[in-house]
Amino acid sequence: MTAALAAWIDSSVRTWDLLRQTIVWILRGALRRRRRQVLQQLYEMGNRSVAFITVTLGILGMISVFQVLKQVEKIVPDFSMIGPAFIQMMIREFGPTIAGLMIATRVGSGIAAEIGSMVVTEQVDALRMCNADPVDYLVVPRFVACGIQSVMLSVYGVLVGVLAGAVTAYLFWNVPFETFFRLDLVQWGDIASGLLKAMCYGLAIPVISAQAGLETRGGSEGVGTSTTRAVVNASFAVVVLDLILSGFSYLVLF
Amino acid sequence: MIEARHLSASFEGVSVLDDVNIRVRKGTIVGIVGVGGVGKSVLLKLFCGLMTPEEGQVMVDDVDIASLDFDGLGSLRQRFGMLFQNYALFDFMTVGENVAFPLEQTGDCPPEEIQARVSERLVDVGLAGSEMLYPRELSGGMKKRVSMARATIANARILLYDDPSAGLDPVTSSKIFSLIERLHDPNGVSVVVSHDIDRMIGVCHEWILLHQGRVWFVGGLEAVKMSSDPVVATFFDTASQGGGV
Amino acid sequence: MTGVMARVGRITINTLVVVGGMTTLLGRILRSLFPLRCDARETWRAFYKVGVKSFPIVILTALFTGAIMVIQSGHYVHKTGATSLLGWAAGFAVFAEIGPILIGLMFSGRVGANNTAELGTMVVTEQVDALRSLAINPTAYLVAPRFLAMTVMLFLLTAMGDLFALFGGAVTAKFMLDVPVWIFLQQVMDAQLLDEYLLGLVKGTVFGMSIAVVSCYYGLTAQGGATGVGRAVNASVVAAAIGIFVTDFVVALMWGIL
Repeated sequence: MTAALAAWIDSSVRTWDLLRQTIVWILRGALRRRRRQVLQQLYEMGNRSVAFITVTLGILGMISVFQVLKQVEKIVPDFSMIGPAFIQMMIREFGPTIAGLMIATRVGSGIAAEIGSMVVTEQVDALRMCNADPVDYLVVPRFVACGIQSVMLSVYGVLVGVLAGAVTAYLFWNVPFETFFRLDLVQWGDIASGLLKAMCYGLAIPVISAQAGLETRGGSEGVGTSTTRAVVNASFAVVVLDLILSGFSYLVLF
Repeated sequence: MIEARHLSASFEGVSVLDDVNIRVRKGTIVGIVGVGGVGKSVLLKLFCGLMTPEEGQVMVDDVDIASLDFDGLGSLRQRFGMLFQNYALFDFMTVGENVAFPLEQTGDCPPEEIQARVSERLVDVGLAGSEMLYPRELSGGMKKRVSMARATIANARILLYDDPSAGLDPVTSSKIFSLIERLHDPNGVSVVVSHDIDRMIGVCHEWILLHQGRVWFVGGLEAVKMSSDPVVATFFDTASQGGGV
Repeated sequence: MTGVMARVGRITINTLVVVGGMTTLLGRILRSLFPLRCDARETWRAFYKVGVKSFPIVILTALFTGAIMVIQSGHYVHKTGATSLLGWAAGFAVFAEIGPILIGLMFSGRVGANNTAELGTMVVTEQVDALRSLAINPTAYLVAPRFLAMTVMLFLLTAMGDLFALFGGAVTAKFMLDVPVWIFLQQVMDAQLLDEYLLGLVKGTVFGMSIAVVSCYYGLTAQGGATGVGRAVNASVVAAAIGIFVTDFVVALMWGIL
């Protein structure tokens, strides 16, 4: 048990160190040098995740509205506040966080699988021999791209979820779209909180996943283990960050 | 040019090198042989600083590489060219991009010159015109040759070859070894780790036999043939009687 | 235009192939379960591994989930002053929806991905072929035990996790909203959320089954060495997540109709 804890602490320390190295490289002008890689990663991450986010957040929107309306219907037959409240929750919490978990799953495992394979086939060593630092070449582009894409995909996810919810409310309870799509309850604090969360998730996920990939040891089993570890740690990090940032924005806004 | 002093190292918890002392002199092609194991690949990685030893030092051109900082290590590696056991070609880049990569990273070569040198190198290794292909479209022998092109494009003086003929048919293996001979820099060093004793005989000037993690024998071909050491005799006899791996 | 059509067509066909493959696998699994024909020792091992591996992280996630839901509900409570609704709002959200989903997603990562990695490595190193050559049915020997273990475990974890989430919520209610723990718990009790709790359990069980089938499918169809295993795990967790949401939808819909 203690051995596992020690290993976990050791890994966490190295992950923070990777974050430090990434930031140092960015300050040393990595963005200009790796422009092509950043664009490539932006395209791949966005492209691969859009359909995924659409399906998952769309369904989430539908179910949430469905279940809430079913409950509320029993207590108070006034559906006018459901739309605004739902939209606010999506912006502040569910949009960024569920999108974040989906990104941790898709992008996180993808990064670990890619980098892990490269470690096992000695491509990372080859990078070093060609005078290209692996953090500079592999991690920085993914770090920047994921941070940006996380925000964009969260915004997109909120739109999809809200739309799906509105359609559900209309189809099953005849709630008109004008009643649903009201931004009465949405404050600037909510939007700021949501965007901050999305960005933090988007920066944490690639670092954690890349670290898992770089720590790969052994053949196919090693790559499988690293990919698993990346998904678990990245997802958990999203949950922890969510708690911290929710608490933080609650305290700040009140 | 390269000197290893009292080198000890482990790989994934197992000790593979124990108090190894080696000196590789300028101008030689050295063959490192030995039964199975990972020690030989680890030795190559220790030479170019991809791994750190548990004990001992590696001196390159009389500089202890452990004393080098990040930038120092970078310029050290520019003096090396390495052929990895599984080619380690970047599978997300074309052949041309792979071979050009080392030159692009050092940053002081204009694009036209890079292109020219890449083409020249590919012609040298017999793969003219293959710049736009991807590694997955190549055969094993072709991938090996692309790796050699990439390893030698920056005119590195120290060339490390990790099992260059592994998994290749006899004809291609012979081609690879004659390439090793041709690309050898008389002012530099080539280190070849292999099990292919027969082909190494025509190419290597000096031999190092590693056994149980230690240096068991060092010497030229004549010394090998005259050695009365049982381990040496068994190894070279078995190997050159066509029993080589 | 034809390019887009071709892509849509290809994606549809690929999806159908995958879904078809998983349905076939599910059929084979069920045949190994009724009558019970799987290896007892493998099944116990699966239960142990799945349980031990996932317990800590799922419980932690549940704790945090409860806390988060209380904080989010806290916003409204603060606005409307309706502190009495805190237990109801948080409890409802956790039991019916967020609890099962987050616990399911964590489980999918911790156990599902691991499962795909294990089976994938076995396939790629030809161990599964070796089993077949010894006249051992891979489905009965490898897959059915894992299916059982994952379904039962996720059911238990959801049941326990929901309660831990309440605990996390109660603590947060005390520290951030100044609602005493026993008042919070009383509110949850009063809200009569048994229906939602059961809904959550059903969801958890169904999630367990779908994660099991998805992860085993991608593990068994892995190909191409180390890279292939990585790709299989990647595809597996994505498909499992989609599976969780789709089954969530189906169960919610059916529950609502019944």
